[in-house]
Amino acid sequence: MAMTAQRIRGVRRRRPARYWVFKFFQYGALIFFALLCIIPLFWIVSTAFKTTAEVAANPLGPPPELHWQNFVQAWVQGRFGKYLRNSIYVSVPIVLGVLGLACLAGYSFARFKLPGGNIIFYVFLLGLMVPFQSIMIPLFYILKDIGFLGTYWAMIMPSIALGLPFSIFFLRAFFLALPWELADAALIDGCDEVGVFWKVMLPLAGPGISSLAVFQFMGAWNSFLLPLIYMQKEELRPLVLGLMFFRNQYTQNYPLTMAGATIVMLPIVVVYVIFQRKFIQGLTAGAIKG
Amino acid sequence: MQMVSPVGRSSKTRITEWVQHYGVGYAFILPALAVYLFFVAYPFAESIYYSLTDWNGAQPVKHFVGLANYARLLSDHLLWQSLGHNLVWIIMGTISPIAIGLFLGVLLWSGARGMVVFRTVYFLPVILAEVVVAIIWNWIYHPLMGALNQLLRLIGLGSLARGWLGNPTTALPALIVAAIWAYYGFCFVVIMAGLQNVSLELVEAATIDGANAWQRFVHVIIPELRHVLTMITTLTMMGGFSVFGIVFVMTQGGPGTATQVIATYTYRKAFQENSIGYGAALSMVMTVLSLVSSYVFIRLRERGE
Repeated sequence: MAMTAQRIRGVRRRRPARYWVFKFFQYGALIFFALLCIIPLFWIVSTAFKTTAEVAANPLGPPPELHWQNFVQAWVQGRFGKYLRNSIYVSVPIVLGVLGLACLAGYSFARFKLPGGNIIFYVFLLGLMVPFQSIMIPLFYILKDIGFLGTYWAMIMPSIALGLPFSIFFLRAFFLALPWELADAALIDGCDEVGVFWKVMLPLAGPGISSLAVFQFMGAWNSFLLPLIYMQKEELRPLVLGLMFFRNQYTQNYPLTMAGATIVMLPIVVVYVIFQRKFIQGLTAGAIKG
Repeated sequence: MQMVSPVGRSSKTRITEWVQHYGVGYAFILPALAVYLFFVAYPFAESIYYSLTDWNGAQPVKHFVGLANYARLLSDHLLWQSLGHNLVWIIMGTISPIAIGLFLGVLLWSGARGMVVFRTVYFLPVILAEVVVAIIWNWIYHPLMGALNQLLRLIGLGSLARGWLGNPTTALPALIVAAIWAYYGFCFVVIMAGLQNVSLELVEAATIDGANAWQRFVHVIIPELRHVLTMITTLTMMGGFSVFGIVFVMTQGGPGTATQVIATYTYRKAFQENSIGYGAALSMVMTVLSLVSSYVFIRLRERGE
């Protein structure tokens, strides 16, 4: 491990045998773990193209021919089109809601030294420490009482509220690091505070906001326990939940289950591969500074 | 960086300036605060109240029972068993992905090509939904057609092949392996970001002083990464207390109670057995555990900056 010697000593013309042994193990290990990530996904997709008999005969190999009917059957019987729409209907408002509210609040904490502002900020920080499980039981009855249960709002509003503490914490830090001389210059030029926020500072926060958008979107899209409790109605299920019930219904029909899993997984994987840098930035935003 | 303070000048402009500065400031916070208080703070307070009742979700009146639910927690064998599983989960599920991430990170850092490709591939499982991860690993663990048993038979260890998820001793480790698979890419990326800041002069100095690769790793690189490593450890621990989806989809806590963790146990009590009061008390246990580990996390994060 940690064979940094080559890098430090610079490149030599004739490398010793030890170097090649190291290179062999280095790339061997790197490729092994890469295959470990990819091959299971390949099994899912390849199984989805087989018939049940072909799966039993050769569960792991590539499909002898591509049977598309599993996808058709999953799409129709699994109602994945409906669930896909549900996922979009809840994820988009969640992302917009969290970003809108958190930008305003995060900006305010960074900009104004409000009397009591610190206390309010700590109240939000407290929410960072509270897992969803600590509020999930009463929230069910609250949502029921205000008539949200059985509507998309049952997922949208709690998800926005739960996304706020981290987003405000993150955006406040991001705003604090911006060049505030620009804000003061704009004020002198006759801009009011709202204008400073909207026209000057918010555009500067673009990179932070887009990372956060990815983070919140993936959180909403993959969210499981929350819709499991609050979106029990069949016609409200988001994709992930729909997939679970679909699998429970066709336990023994592996190709059909895998077709469902492929439908759920593939769009996200494709978008991820295209925008991998932004995805990784966004999803590690909590752990890596800036 | 901060505001010009609204002092001086006539009292009338002072008031308008105060409204300008602070009024806008409060108005910006208010919507977020309202949503947060109603959908997080209020149910949290209700959770504490519920935990002091024996409500079953249907009775019109919530009957106050004091600390009876908490007394019951102490003698609840299933709770302690579940917490034990969480503990195993946290220990295995924290050490292994960090070790793998560190191993891969240092390998790539020591001058390998294809950084972007490897990073994209390692991170791929991180973006998958838990249900998808569960379906993938249920398939790998399938007693007859699963890849794991096929592989064991292929290399002549067919006697070890078994129903991994149906066996009480192997079910929990099998779930944890699935969770590690879905997480080590995350550790890798965070560690890799930390490695970018390791000073090459330090490593070089150690080399000149005669430190071998292993010594450089332990005495130079690890200390340089300590902030990243403590941060990711606490982050993973927090996740380890609230793990739910993978267990719920793959084994439902079974066989028997062999993979029951506190989150699945709480869900069962509250939403399947309708013991709302007791379920709320269980959720308070999770709250305390999470508070402690995230308090540590926030302190470490502040210190690291």
